[in-house]
Amino acid sequence: MSTMPLCDGPARRDFLRLGLTGLFGSSLSLPNLLRAEASHPERAVKDRGVSVIYVFLKGGLSTIDTWDMKPNAPAEFRGEFDPAPTNVPGIQICDLLPKLAGQMDKASLLRGFWHKNSDHGPADHYMLTGYFPAAGFNPNLTPNNQRPSLGSIVSRKLGPQGAARRAAAVPAYVTLPQTPNSSGPAYLGATCAPLAVEADPAAPDFAVPDMAPPPSLPADRLAARRDLLRRVDQLQQSAEIEANSRAKTVDVFRQRAFDLMLSPAAKQAFNIHAESDKLRDAYGRNTLGQSCLMARRLVEAGVRCVTVEHSNWDTHDGNFRGLKDQLLPQLDPALGTLLSDLAERSLLEKTLVVVTGEFGRTPRINKNAGRDHWGPSFTVLVAGGGVKGGRVIGSSDERAERPASVPHGPEDLFATMAHLLGIDPQEEFYTPEGRPNKVVNDGKVIRELL
Amino acid sequence: MTVRCRNLGPLWLCAVLLLCATAPADERPLNFENDIVPILSKFGCNTSGCHGKAEGQNGFKLSVFGFDPKADHRALTAEGKGRRVFPAAPEKSLLLLKASGGMPHGGGVRIPTERPEYATLVRWIGTGMPFGQPTDPTLVKIELTPREQQLAMGQEVPVRVTATWSDGRTEEVTNLARFQSNSEALASVDEAGRVTAGQSPGVVAIMASYLGAVDTLHVIIPRGEKPQPYPAVSQHNFIDGHVYRRLEQLNIVPADLCTDAEFLRRVYLDLIGTLPTAAEARQFLADGRPNKRALLVDELLGRPEFANYWTLKWADLLRVDRLALGHKNAYSFYRWIHAAISSGQPLDEMAREIITAEGPLAESPAANLFTATKDPGKTASTISQVFLGVRIECAQCHHHPFDRWSQGDYFGMTAYFAQLQKKSTPLGEVLVATGDPATTHPRTGEKIMAHPLGEPMPAENPPGDRRRELAAWMTAPGNPFFAKNIANRVWAHLLGRGLVEPVDDFRATNPPSNPQLLDALGQKLTDERFDLRALIRSICASRVYQHSAKTNATNLRDEQNYSRALLKRLDAEVLLDAVCQTTGVGEKFDGAPAGTRAVELWDSQVDHYFLRLFGRPVRQTACDCERVVEPSVAQVLHLLNSDRIDGKLRHDGGKIAELVRREPDNGQLAEELYLTVFARLPTPAERQTAVEYLSAAGTDPGRRRSQAEDLLWTMLNSLEFVFNH
Repeated sequence: MSTMPLCDGPARRDFLRLGLTGLFGSSLSLPNLLRAEASHPERAVKDRGVSVIYVFLKGGLSTIDTWDMKPNAPAEFRGEFDPAPTNVPGIQICDLLPKLAGQMDKASLLRGFWHKNSDHGPADHYMLTGYFPAAGFNPNLTPNNQRPSLGSIVSRKLGPQGAARRAAAVPAYVTLPQTPNSSGPAYLGATCAPLAVEADPAAPDFAVPDMAPPPSLPADRLAARRDLLRRVDQLQQSAEIEANSRAKTVDVFRQRAFDLMLSPAAKQAFNIHAESDKLRDAYGRNTLGQSCLMARRLVEAGVRCVTVEHSNWDTHDGNFRGLKDQLLPQLDPALGTLLSDLAERSLLEKTLVVVTGEFGRTPRINKNAGRDHWGPSFTVLVAGGGVKGGRVIGSSDERAERPASVPHGPEDLFATMAHLLGIDPQEEFYTPEGRPNKVVNDGKVIRELL
Repeated sequence: MTVRCRNLGPLWLCAVLLLCATAPADERPLNFENDIVPILSKFGCNTSGCHGKAEGQNGFKLSVFGFDPKADHRALTAEGKGRRVFPAAPEKSLLLLKASGGMPHGGGVRIPTERPEYATLVRWIGTGMPFGQPTDPTLVKIELTPREQQLAMGQEVPVRVTATWSDGRTEEVTNLARFQSNSEALASVDEAGRVTAGQSPGVVAIMASYLGAVDTLHVIIPRGEKPQPYPAVSQHNFIDGHVYRRLEQLNIVPADLCTDAEFLRRVYLDLIGTLPTAAEARQFLADGRPNKRALLVDELLGRPEFANYWTLKWADLLRVDRLALGHKNAYSFYRWIHAAISSGQPLDEMAREIITAEGPLAESPAANLFTATKDPGKTASTISQVFLGVRIECAQCHHHPFDRWSQGDYFGMTAYFAQLQKKSTPLGEVLVATGDPATTHPRTGEKIMAHPLGEPMPAENPPGDRRRELAAWMTAPGNPFFAKNIANRVWAHLLGRGLVEPVDDFRATNPPSNPQLLDALGQKLTDERFDLRALIRSICASRVYQHSAKTNATNLRDEQNYSRALLKRLDAEVLLDAVCQTTGVGEKFDGAPAGTRAVELWDSQVDHYFLRLFGRPVRQTACDCERVVEPSVAQVLHLLNSDRIDGKLRHDGGKIAELVRREPDNGQLAEELYLTVFARLPTPAERQTAVEYLSAAGTDPGRRRSQAEDLLWTMLNSLEFVFNH
């Protein structure tokens, strides 16, 4: 149990380490921290020790071709693929996903899912924050968040897993191998931003860029430099930093960079080369497969939220060719192995896995043998973290154009994820201007998953 | 008139219907476009998420935001076998049953039966679904009252929207207007038009839109406490008057003047994208002339680095992209821009030359812009965004929901570029404007003549090369966009925030934070015959530009109204050059001669991790947003740990190696480093810290050098280095 906003934890620890001389002007100094806590005490979380891996299939996975097939629909809807049985009687998915089919007892499908937007930018924001963006949204900004992303909420409320948290050994929130524009912290501030790892874990020389000092630099010299830096950087200690959001962010990021550099646990977690060739092959020697493996390593080391973004699922042209030749042969071993690997390590119960695009794709096939954006009906896959596997919750109509059951939307998904993580979905965060904002607005926990 | 049926319960509807059906003399006949479309908009029926999307919703399709009233009328009255409306018993119409919750509706209950709009729909169906007459009045304007409103934090105020019709009639349309705040954090507005101020001081624009017309209200939320007395602040020029008037309204006291050292570093970085050297810093700090700041600005405006840096900025916008243009053409386009900036060519003339460029690309490098933009529509969008600061792409497909631009405006601009053809000749590629191609409206099929944004469409296209007319219109004194757009871009670069933000998104619904100042800056640029340097000189002379970044008790939370200098992250290229200059070791770029600085690179595609990491734009769009200045942990890590930067620090031919040789005294060495990196002298405490650190080496010269490297490393990783302040 903790009553602290946790991603401020390292700052407080650092403050104590520095004694009373350092970081006076920083927003994270003890007086400010205490003031913030006094004005808006945050609720305790009931930390269940759950972490989350959010696999974001950017562009929009065609779920009518994969997880919610309609073999009896007219040809212009049905598509070219065939359903096949899974290891759960009664559940069928695309026959191009045999490994996943063998793990279906661990995962459940939300087939009555929908939201009302079919544009990449706003839909990304919706699926990554639980909030549809308000007027003035500029999707081109990086980050573009009007609301905090899932990982930022998790950073704020939970921080890294227990042991790692006490040692600040690993970051709470990592994005890889690319960072969705909507994965920022919004009003939760820079301490809740992800560690964005912009590198491909499938590359032979994969490493987090610049995570370690140059090898030629002796360790004591790094310590001396670090100590000197605190004394030299006048601006860091001034009120200007408090008043300039970007500079404040750099200040916070610098502290996080040091935490990362000094952590053997982080170094080990990011060392994907320590995995056996056999397991690496099983995940698939490609960006998606190795990113999923990396996510498992990170979660194992204590990272609380890993967002894996993979492109490009935006199959406007040649949907079937693209899925069959490229995308599904990567997705199947990645997800299938992730679920079996987590289960074998007894991590599945404590690791929530969510797999989705920002929307689905139009049930009616377009003239380019493609499918376009479709928010009004798609399927989300959820597994682990307390989710009961082997279930199908909700359904779409006979052409997968609309939910045919009481629909579930992003708000419900976020309420469910928060619930599983031990966060009260109704809890309110305060913006710097003092406006309260709920973790999720009006979402209902999807009880059938539990 | 729509108020006739207001507040009558459903039980009364039949009676009302009878009245409506018999159309009493004072009951104005309804017009579909004026009376019904706004209801469909207000309740979200025609948004792109519902029936407004391209494929409609469950077979019922409306035009998005109601841009096509004829099609919408047909969809409601004729399509779906006419089942959507039932004039004999209007309340049994599918339209009303679905919208009011009388039947299951995917979109939920939208228009409850007790709403006056429901009654209006009932009357419209009951009277036979009139489309209206061509002679029916059209909307002239809407007015939002009050015009400007001061609100205390947390205070609420209702606003009122009044429409004026072409027959002189006015009516309140607050219920049917849609509202938007440009900063939800400062003030919010609900659908009934009630504005609530937040808990931060600032200026926020509240917009109302109705039938494509837009009006704006500025809400000013002052700080709670009024400084007593409000101090007298001197003014250097017209800019200060406009800014300080606003600050006084907000109960904010402007910052003090910055120091000479702060001014020196700021103006070097802003104007020439380069740090002053230690020698330049010493000279300026020792200069006793009272007008030395103005003299420095003049000197910098004349330096070759000025042209290099501002060419980089223009090359971003004009899309000097090697991948799109090819090596030779991209380079010649860059050189052309460089010559224009370097020679001080007036910006209106430069714009005219670009817009009307023709002939062999080899001889007319400006014509390359038309290669980068490919088709007339993209060209029109790019030209509008770069030179007018107006984004018109939305209007390609539908009337902009919160702006005045229609498809007619978009295709009117597009038509200017429809004559352009690129021909391959023995002389290479040649751009010609030829023929008299027609541009048609994609929906109505009507022919659209070339005409500028916001101007009426003429009966004929201009003769000859149509672009000449556009260039003349755009750069004529009094053009509503051109001068203000350029002024706003320059202002944003120097002050860290545009008066209109984003800088290339001028819209009725994105008004300037200080309209009087923007007008004055645009006027100044026009009066100075579009001389970029003259505008910069004025801005740099203002007290506002010379503010300190230090906060006072009143401006701590203001990042909007120029009450203090904002910290600006150095551009990727500028930061890399600063690292090279302060370490004394240059960077080698592929394909560029040795000694080339990053700011001088004409090619935005040169592969470079540092430049990519710190947000260099790729020049694939004309959007200013391509340049990213948001920090990331990866950037911080790179400055801390990159072995390339480490190599520069420790280089035998580098700055540290040179300084430790030259300056045997640790105090002198520290001073030189502070001047080199921070462009200022160290404070006594800083000097002492540095000297102590250097002295730890004792008499070991190797150790002294590595201690000095450590000192430089800490300075390069300081916020003071990474930001322009």
